[in-house]
Amino acid sequence: MNVLRDAATVNEDDANLLVLIIDTNPLIWTRLAKSTGLSLKEALRHLMVFINAHLALKHDNEVAVIASHVDVSKFLYPIPNPHKLSEDTDQTMNSNMYQRFKVVNDQVIGNMKELFEDLSKLNSYPDKASSMIAGALSMSLCYINRIMRADEIGHIKPRIFIASVSPDSPNQYISIMNCIFSAQKLGIPIDVCKVHGEDAVFLQQAAHITGGRYLKLPTPQGFLQFLMITFLPDRYTRTYQCLPGEEKVDFGAACFCHKKIIDIGYVCSFFVIHWNNVQLAGLTNLMLASVNEGGLRVVNGIKKLDKSKGRESGGST
Amino acid sequence: MPTAVTHFKTNIYECLEALPRYTLDQLYKEPATCLAIFRLLPSLARQFVMSLLFTQPINSPVNLTKSDLRLWVKNEEAALTKFDEALEKLSKLSIMTIDQYGYIQMNSEFRERFRDCLTGGGSHQSFGVPCKKPASDRPDIAFLDRHAMKQWEEILHFMVGTESMSQPSAAVLKVVTRAKLMKEGKDKLVITNKGFQFLLQDVNTQVWAFLIQYLDIADELLQMNVVEVLNFFFMLGSLELGMDYSVKGLTDTQKQLLDDLANFGLAYRRKKGSSRYYPTRLATTLTSGNSAVVSSAVSSSASTTTGEDGATEQGFIIVETNYKLYAYTESKLQISVLRLFCELQTRFANMVYALITRDSVRKALKHGITASQIISYLSSHAHPQMKKRIPLLPPTVVDQIRLWEIERNRLEATEGYLYKEFRNQGDYEMVLKYATNHGFVIWFNERKRMFSVTEEGHEHVRSYIKKKIAQRKTNGGGGSGVGTPNHQNNGSPSILEFLDIEDERKQRIGW
Repeated sequence: MNVLRDAATVNEDDANLLVLIIDTNPLIWTRLAKSTGLSLKEALRHLMVFINAHLALKHDNEVAVIASHVDVSKFLYPIPNPHKLSEDTDQTMNSNMYQRFKVVNDQVIGNMKELFEDLSKLNSYPDKASSMIAGALSMSLCYINRIMRADEIGHIKPRIFIASVSPDSPNQYISIMNCIFSAQKLGIPIDVCKVHGEDAVFLQQAAHITGGRYLKLPTPQGFLQFLMITFLPDRYTRTYQCLPGEEKVDFGAACFCHKKIIDIGYVCSFFVIHWNNVQLAGLTNLMLASVNEGGLRVVNGIKKLDKSKGRESGGST
Repeated sequence: MPTAVTHFKTNIYECLEALPRYTLDQLYKEPATCLAIFRLLPSLARQFVMSLLFTQPINSPVNLTKSDLRLWVKNEEAALTKFDEALEKLSKLSIMTIDQYGYIQMNSEFRERFRDCLTGGGSHQSFGVPCKKPASDRPDIAFLDRHAMKQWEEILHFMVGTESMSQPSAAVLKVVTRAKLMKEGKDKLVITNKGFQFLLQDVNTQVWAFLIQYLDIADELLQMNVVEVLNFFFMLGSLELGMDYSVKGLTDTQKQLLDDLANFGLAYRRKKGSSRYYPTRLATTLTSGNSAVVSSAVSSSASTTTGEDGATEQGFIIVETNYKLYAYTESKLQISVLRLFCELQTRFANMVYALITRDSVRKALKHGITASQIISYLSSHAHPQMKKRIPLLPPTVVDQIRLWEIERNRLEATEGYLYKEFRNQGDYEMVLKYATNHGFVIWFNERKRMFSVTEEGHEHVRSYIKKKIAQRKTNGGGGSGVGTPNHQNNGSPSILEFLDIEDERKQRIGW
């Protein structure tokens, strides 16, 4: 038995850990459900079958589900001490369903209900238009890290799947990018399915950088079918499969001070920060340089970042 | 333990593959069986099934051809090989077949039931009927583990011939003799070479091997329906450890089966005819390969501390580069298995110290155990400390065990028949040519006009010669000669008459 610690090499016998991040922003779901006909409830049913399919592929496949809500990211499965959702549902244990599927589905749905019962914070949160993708990503990376450490022989191959509806939140730009680079370093592919709405620039980059798949749902009706064909294959199978065509990736970045997505920006080569105008860049730089006075040379390498030239954002500059 | 896993897979897979299409269709009526069989497929095949499962309404066909499907895989040799392999397996299990127009037909029974399995629909109750209320004194998991190990090791102990062991049940005896794991000795059953090999496998493989043999018997001797038996096996594999299940909903055959399986340690019943049963770990990990056994045993080892079964499943063997072997076990069974290929030196309270020597390995080889079996046994039972090393076993030891095996294979004995004393070169060449064309020849020497053929070829060659003689007789040939085939090994010569052939006759009979 050869022990493979390398995250990049995958074996047919490897187990797969799938971390699902479901964007549950209720405002956007309700708004978009009217126009497209795919409500959160309906989508959740499709996602449950998708989870079951993933668990069916291999007996030791694992799954984790995280809700990326408006103000909070929360684990839906697994949770440390699952209080019996309701005694009576557990008692009438369904003999028509594989026990493992049932446990996961019941917990996810039960916890999802709980999440939606608490709507009090919803009104107080300023950024209603987006969801806590960055938080959910960090949680999933931490979870994956824990599982990988427990698994000494490197048998488990993780990947992340994001079902996204909300538009990008430039507020979270830095944290999302950090998560993406960590995932890239750990060799964890991030798959993104944009269920509703416009292309999400940051998530597109996430899929591109980590070697995952990005798909904007052309029609919401066949959600499950898209999930099955595009996102179900495990990492081993993907080495033999044709990927759906890589579309043009938008490498747009967000300005660090105004938190806006910019087309033309300026990059400091030392701190790798983007600004939307030069004066501001110089100013912040001086401040930073003075903070770092001890031993650091003054930084003046401010470069112009032009999106149209297709330069990658962040790490490469 | 990739070797062990593949071994298990091919075993049950071959068994399923041999079933006729009708039986398979019957099997696919149970979603639990669909799930278990689905998991036996190669990755790419599983992906194809998943991709096509929800494409169309149940009754309408999948509107795809084989070449459409091929577009899904990369146009590389490795990928295309996998693709062909996947489709072959799918069609052998009649899950997906390709009709004469090249269109893909998915087995509708399978498709419907597997959809039910994923969505939780239907009312098939194929995942076991749980009891309404747990029994007040329901056995805990540790108890079930002990029960399983006790029953299973009893069988193994019986095979090794440990003394003071009670006679196992009739079903066990039947399986063991039927599978040729043991044979009739002087006054009792003795273990065979196959039995020795069996002992070296991991538990999961052993259980499957045993069940497959049981299946054979069930069909012929006990008049059980193969479909019901297999369905029951697969259902057991999908149950939860430590839950109460009710015998309600089981067929009569399956109830009878349950008693036997309880005997093997796959299930526990408080008493015969009790309305509840509890699957043990041996049963619930049936369809999951053996990695699940290992990992679950590790996680449960915290509670069962130093239980005998915990140790055996976790791995307990340390091998050093100097051929010394330390086994942290108290189990008599494990020690007798080790004795098959090691020289035991010292026994301590919790540990045995043994040496792997040329003689001990050769002894094992003589019993029909192969070098790779020894190596896979060592690696699958390696101590967790060993498992962190890459490579797992010291290469010197692995290589040496293999060399010892090769050493024995310098001479290869093949049973055969020797043909000699041909009257002339023409006859010799004619018969030799016939034998060569059919691949019967083991050895030949043109100068001495001799050659020898395999046992199976002997009949063919002999009848060929007879035919030629008969032909010649009808052609009015004369002269006489003898080509003598000699059985090389048992030395029972059978003499055939063979006629001389003269050159002009050859012309006449149209050579």
